[in-house]
Amino acid sequence: MRKALKQYNFDWMLWRTYEAGSRLLAGTRQEYDIALRYIPNFRDPVKEVFKAKAGQLFLQMTATYLDNIVNAHQRGKKTCMTTFCFSPAILYALDIVPVTLELLTVMMTFLYKRGTGEFLDYCNEAGFTETSCSSQRGSMGALLADIGTPIDMVVTDSPGVCDTNANAFAFFAAYKDLPFFQLNMPPWLVEERVTEYHVQDYKALIGFLEEQSGKKLDVDRLREILTELQKQDELINELEQYLSYKPLPLSVTTCLFIYAGRFMFAGMPIYTQLLEMLVNEGRENVTLLKQGINISHEKSRGFFCYIDHYTHSLRLWQMLEELNIGYSGNILSHFWADSNPPVVHNNWKEAAYSIKTGTLEEMLTSIAAINSRMPMIKSIRGPYDSPYMWLQDTLALASMYKADFIVYNGTPGCRNTWGMVKLLAQDTEKAGFPTHIMYADAFDDRVQSWDATRDRFEEFLRVRRLL
Amino acid sequence: MFEEFYTIAQSINNEYIAKVKEQGALCIGYTCSYFPEEILHALGIIPYRIKGLNVSSLSIADAAFGPFICSHPKCLLQHFALGDYSFLDGIIVTPGCDSMRRIDECIRKTAVNLDLPVVPPFFFHYAVPHKITEYSVKWLVEELHRFIDSVSAHFGLSFSYDKLKESIAFYNRLRKRLEELNALRIHYPARIAGADAVAVYVAGLSMPRDRFYGMMESLLSEYTGTALEDRKRLMLIGSANDDIDFIKTVEGETAVVVADTLCYGPRLEVDYVDEEDEPLHALALRYLNHSHCPRMYGGYKQRLAKVVEAIRIAQVEGVVLQNIRFCDLHGAENGLIERDLEKLGIPCLRLEREYGPLADNERMRMRIDAFLERLEVRRLVCERP
Repeated sequence: MRKALKQYNFDWMLWRTYEAGSRLLAGTRQEYDIALRYIPNFRDPVKEVFKAKAGQLFLQMTATYLDNIVNAHQRGKKTCMTTFCFSPAILYALDIVPVTLELLTVMMTFLYKRGTGEFLDYCNEAGFTETSCSSQRGSMGALLADIGTPIDMVVTDSPGVCDTNANAFAFFAAYKDLPFFQLNMPPWLVEERVTEYHVQDYKALIGFLEEQSGKKLDVDRLREILTELQKQDELINELEQYLSYKPLPLSVTTCLFIYAGRFMFAGMPIYTQLLEMLVNEGRENVTLLKQGINISHEKSRGFFCYIDHYTHSLRLWQMLEELNIGYSGNILSHFWADSNPPVVHNNWKEAAYSIKTGTLEEMLTSIAAINSRMPMIKSIRGPYDSPYMWLQDTLALASMYKADFIVYNGTPGCRNTWGMVKLLAQDTEKAGFPTHIMYADAFDDRVQSWDATRDRFEEFLRVRRLL
Repeated sequence: MFEEFYTIAQSINNEYIAKVKEQGALCIGYTCSYFPEEILHALGIIPYRIKGLNVSSLSIADAAFGPFICSHPKCLLQHFALGDYSFLDGIIVTPGCDSMRRIDECIRKTAVNLDLPVVPPFFFHYAVPHKITEYSVKWLVEELHRFIDSVSAHFGLSFSYDKLKESIAFYNRLRKRLEELNALRIHYPARIAGADAVAVYVAGLSMPRDRFYGMMESLLSEYTGTALEDRKRLMLIGSANDDIDFIKTVEGETAVVVADTLCYGPRLEVDYVDEEDEPLHALALRYLNHSHCPRMYGGYKQRLAKVVEAIRIAQVEGVVLQNIRFCDLHGAENGLIERDLEKLGIPCLRLEREYGPLADNERMRMRIDAFLERLEVRRLVCERP
């Protein structure tokens, strides 16, 4: 790794940058326009985020998340390295600061033209495989090189779901000799035995977190967080209804805000604020639509059945806007509450979670159920064509969002999905959805340049007469 | 002496399987060393550890699996698609790793897509936890119950715990024989080549076990061993390997693999199933604890300790850490092992390879030769007065 990169902690650098970005709209429009001239490298991502009404709040939220990490030890808090598909709610309940690798990676790829290439490569220098998922490696490399806030413990919940994810956390913990805890996921979801296993596992996790943090779980605090989560679920449900309208009554980045916010601040008021802002925007725009006022033009609509592409400046979202592609959801923005529209519509209550805040036991059962239904954790834990797994979820969501086509995008490190995505695509095609498999790396443009990725995507749209 | 073992180990089907199949016996294949063969044995079913040897093309496997997948399960799928495993009456798929777990869908869908009779009549997805706790052992016990119910119902068999106890006792005796074979490997100087030992292990996973036991007894009573003097003593660690030619490549003319952690072998040590415990609980405990696989996340320190102990006992001079490309579990753990063993002064060589017909054989040979030269220099330095 270049010496220059070791001059500052990468999380501190990200924090200061997002902090500055979130303040750009604090002045007049003229000041904002002038400020953009001075930040040529950050201009595009900032402009893209600010296209949404909630953009500024989203940047503030991201800055707050980074602030928490950078200043955790100074504030007497422990840090926990974890993954996007682990709900951070329990960490907040125990006053532990989550350091979510995939989020940090994306924060970097969105903002820095160089991406996370050198951190990715540093993982290999440390002995980790280059074939592993770039979503963890992108920021793990920096932490392996000690240019980030020191980590106190490591928690993952992907064993049984995603090897490369679980393996990254296990590797880091072994490399740095840190306390490590894994939640385990059986390959199916709906069974008493599985529920019982999840709850036992979750209780063991709480024991681990209490031991590492030196704090006991505060029942009232947990109740407060779960109550907030319920509120957030209701807001997401309303947003999902708006996202199924054609043309889309919300900014194309809405789905990104929903899942990124949830990964950062599940059960925390700052995320509720963001959702409320999005809902208000949705309400206003749906009213306009009902009045016959055209607020956007949509040529066709896609459903991303896995993850998005996190190249610099949110170029995926820019492209979707340019091509007039409606984009209202992917597998990451679904958390499977019992009140969630696809759950209600398809009568999938048994595969959904319910939040009960009465007794501690009820709360633990609820939070274990939430966690075991996190994006990816739910959908790819078992055979993709089994009940409540990836194929069923994909087809239900693509139908609900009125998608005209489906896109798979991931990373070459995603052993699990690459093990059967071709088969999934055959099935989605049979179900009437033209399906495009991207061979790019969502977190590393060196694998396939964004331009090449876009060319192939557009070719798919043209060949399948979707434009 | 070893020809028969080699013949069985290096082919998919063999006369022993064919013979018992003719007599009406059932044969069930499985994909991962976490499945306790004892259960099948107790039911009178021949267990078969599925292999991927001798594949000359991956045309069908590539069409089902994506490009970023380990070539080992791809080779298995190719065999299924070609009908090479048509002698199997069933298959047990374990989520041992992400590449291997997806062979479940790939076999089923390939059958439909290509209209091939590749799916055995009995198909079981066997869920093994990735950790060892009281509740994960309980889960595995329940999983074994689920398997017994499922296989018994499918084939109309009756399961008996007395039979299972007998099978456990039989397998413990078999492990004792394997331990005796292992003693020849770790002997100084080694009295058996690593390739020969691995041929025996792999053959054992590919034929009726009672017959194999008889062959082992004959081998151990007749074979006194050949002292392999002056060979560099190596340990082989990493991805699954059922390919004897790969071991031969590592050994060449000047080295001998005296220990390994490969999952087609007995791993580092042969540990026994507790015959006093409730049988399913004993099996669950043994198979979760015996694991020397990085799929058991968070167990690195224990695995490293076992490796260091094996190095001491077998007087290993150098360690070859290999992983099949896209095997992140072993690839990453190899990085840690290399760091920690080199710190202890144990020379290591890391190799990334493809599984299959030794496509990169010469490249590996060259790197192994260079590593052996390093060991030679080390010997000379150590022998200096």
